[in-house]
Amino acid sequence: MEEESTSHATVESNASDRIKLNVGGKLFETTLSTIRSDGPDSLLYDLSNRSSNDPNPVFIDRDPEIFSVLLSLLRTNHLPSTALRFSKQELADEANFYGIDSHLRAATSPPPFSGIDASIVGTVRPASEGFPSTFTAADNGSVWIAHGGQLSSYDWNLIHSATVRTHLDEIKSICRVWPEIAAVGTSSDAGLHFYNFSGSRHVGSVHWSDPTDPRIFKARVNAITASENSVFASFDCSHRENCILEVDKAKIQIVSQLGRQSGNQAKHMVPMKLTWIQTTGVLVGSAVTGGAFGYSGYIRLWDPRSGEVVWETHEPGASGRSSRFGDSFSAIEVDVEKLLLFKLCSKSGDLAMADMRRLGDDPWVYLKEKNPSLWTDGGDGSISSVVHCYKEQVFVGRGGELEVWSRVQEVIECESERERESDGEGVYRRNFVDKREDSGKGVIKKIEGGGDRLFISREDVEGIEVWESSHSAGAISVL
Amino acid sequence: MPPFAGSLLQSQPRSDSNIVTIDVGGQMFQTTKQTLTSAGPKTFFSRISQTDSPFTPFIDRDPEIFSLFLSLLRTGNLPSKAKSFDLHDLIIESRFYGIENLLVNSFSNPSQLEPFNLQKSLQLALNGRDSPSSIATTPYGSLHVSHGSKITTFDWSLRRKSTILTHFTAVDSLFALSPSLAAAGANDFSGLQILDLEKGYVKETLNWENVTKSGSTVQAIGSSPENMFVSFESSRRNSNSIVVYDLNSLRPVTEIGHNEIYGADIDSAIPATKLQWIESHNLLMASGSHSGPSGVSGNIRLWDVRSGEVVWEVSEKVDCFADVTVSDSLSAMFKVGVNSGEVSYMDLKNLGSEKSSWVCLGDKRKVLNGKKEGFGYKIETQGNQVFCSKGGDVELWSEIIMGSSNNRIFKKNLMGRGQDIGGAKITNLAFGGSRMFLTRKDLQCVEVWQSSSREL
Repeated sequence: MEEESTSHATVESNASDRIKLNVGGKLFETTLSTIRSDGPDSLLYDLSNRSSNDPNPVFIDRDPEIFSVLLSLLRTNHLPSTALRFSKQELADEANFYGIDSHLRAATSPPPFSGIDASIVGTVRPASEGFPSTFTAADNGSVWIAHGGQLSSYDWNLIHSATVRTHLDEIKSICRVWPEIAAVGTSSDAGLHFYNFSGSRHVGSVHWSDPTDPRIFKARVNAITASENSVFASFDCSHRENCILEVDKAKIQIVSQLGRQSGNQAKHMVPMKLTWIQTTGVLVGSAVTGGAFGYSGYIRLWDPRSGEVVWETHEPGASGRSSRFGDSFSAIEVDVEKLLLFKLCSKSGDLAMADMRRLGDDPWVYLKEKNPSLWTDGGDGSISSVVHCYKEQVFVGRGGELEVWSRVQEVIECESERERESDGEGVYRRNFVDKREDSGKGVIKKIEGGGDRLFISREDVEGIEVWESSHSAGAISVL
Repeated sequence: MPPFAGSLLQSQPRSDSNIVTIDVGGQMFQTTKQTLTSAGPKTFFSRISQTDSPFTPFIDRDPEIFSLFLSLLRTGNLPSKAKSFDLHDLIIESRFYGIENLLVNSFSNPSQLEPFNLQKSLQLALNGRDSPSSIATTPYGSLHVSHGSKITTFDWSLRRKSTILTHFTAVDSLFALSPSLAAAGANDFSGLQILDLEKGYVKETLNWENVTKSGSTVQAIGSSPENMFVSFESSRRNSNSIVVYDLNSLRPVTEIGHNEIYGADIDSAIPATKLQWIESHNLLMASGSHSGPSGVSGNIRLWDVRSGEVVWEVSEKVDCFADVTVSDSLSAMFKVGVNSGEVSYMDLKNLGSEKSSWVCLGDKRKVLNGKKEGFGYKIETQGNQVFCSKGGDVELWSEIIMGSSNNRIFKKNLMGRGQDIGGAKITNLAFGGSRMFLTRKDLQCVEVWQSSSREL
């Protein structure tokens, strides 16, 4: 909650703590601590220093109404409802002017995202060619969308900020390399390309080549991920030979090559998904294909410094998986914060979890659904499914349906019990995030979380859905 | 002399003067010490009224909202210009001054419930696909709603909500201990959980140790000003009991109505599924029913909690209740029959005497109805009225006092306007603050009925 329930107001009686401001002809009086609450870099902080021995109010030639909203924000850390009179853009611009934009951001950003209590708040719809081919979300809640060869950037207010037209026609993979630079790849054209939003230009390309092997040319990018200094991209050639290239982020030069494989079997396919795990310095790659005989694929963990495989598994066929015979995974996801691997079983629809610190022969723990009414009826595995981890919750898109697996908070005193249950059994509960009518909108293609928002793209649907949690009750009048 | 410069007042009133001047965000306000102290002790206002500083106290807050609160202190009501403010802004500001309770009182006091003026006015939507299974309210109108494995809490102003995840697949019994604390139990899950709804964890689990050492499921929760009553049944369904807890410490105090079932004793095998405290008689009403091949049978018992004895009991064989409630102010017990779907009453004064029998208020012939017309109907009482849900509608029963007659007269009305009649079947009915809450089958929302004058 914003405020404690008890009264903690204090009476300021020392006149030297106070400051008078004349904003566009309207007088305001406040304390120095209030207008300095946003740190020494703000304009208001500068003004508060200048006036200490001048009895006249400081004059600021700006709109007084917006200022009174921002002053309320500084006083209470809460945006008053009068802010609704102004657009998000106006408030953001004005807060920028006073140098208190971080304060505004903290007050307007959504509360912690909770899958059990989320609703659609809007759709980000690019103005032209609105069918997103892929997108990526950032921690501040902004999103980059690739659509029809264009890259569009939307800021944390989800206001359009820039669009770049790339030389590619359909961007299949995108990764945020720097705050303004995106790395993109496509399945129809060769190479990994870097585009800068400011100046909207192409800043570099990387191609996979091998002087000793002339067959390695026109290799396409399938997946991209970024570490602190490098970008990892998986390339494959038309004859299916593939590898992962590590590219220096700053110089845009190839550093090393790892995981080169022939691609002639399902377990040697090009990785379709790459995830970099900062805390352990491990790269996770996975690939899944669905065929007439069901799904097959692999998960592999590399140490990029040595280029060696740390752990791998493939389904079907790997040892120690007798309990789930014929139920190979159809989607893979890594929880980077909690170091967990998740797989979605294609036949049963079950979700399984593996602790990445204790990977062994059969590390999977299958999460059970206790509610019989929510049991999936197995299905034939033909439903397209995606998995995404965000804020310790696992979001699963099955066809058009969106569900969440979330951890139930344990009894706090009971340490030993928490240890016992840490294997995941009974701790995760499954719930639907969406309403029944939402599921008919289209098959979910991609889910990604960022800035306490969940972004979802659907097949043949323009734009990207934005889901948020809210503390507002949202009562609807039915009088 | 620039405006507002210096804090020493020019026309300094004598220090024993009754008038207090306050500078709020650059605007001057004058009021009396009495007005300020009416906010109650230990609030910010009473502190200001006590200071004897020669300086004008300065408060770095919004002056417009302050002027509203000053009116609230002066008259006990918010001025009408407060309507242009968002209530949530006012609540946040009132917490700063420590006077939220004044706002609660002026908006959501249970004494302000106007049964004849309730209109369907709000819908509180719930996220996800689960329909509400049970609802619970606090006296001042906070609302807890369980849907699926989740519990969503709405604050007294119905402006803010929060949702937590529980261990239950569905919560069948929910009881509000406070705006942020609830007791929850289920028919298929052992133990009563005390849940912190703000942080979302289980504070405590209360269990009933039954003889068979199996789990104990919760069938009903009730409360008196001092105690919480929980009806448990063992998971093997061969014993049941009502455990009395201290409402503050949540320690068990005593256990009443412990039944062990041997053989085919059907009557003792029915656990209580509704518990209601009758304040005027200091008795606990416990009712439970059971559906068998020969129809629905049940029993209603009135317990003296101190002695642990049944004071009065009735076995229901013909037209057993679908739901029962006891009205203190009407001094009568009301039921809605599961076969007839009609409301009947029994005068509490006649309990134990020859005359103690149900008086059917509707079509008496339907009592022998073979159908289960009243199945799932709910009956609740609030003040001098009895509210009975029938399908998608709510009937409002009131007593008409006619000086001479010995027979009591109750008359009913259908609540709501023409457009509100009908709708999906009502599954829960509850009262909190000055509002009525109800949920309907397969609708993921809570309906709020309130009087137009108390509109927030």
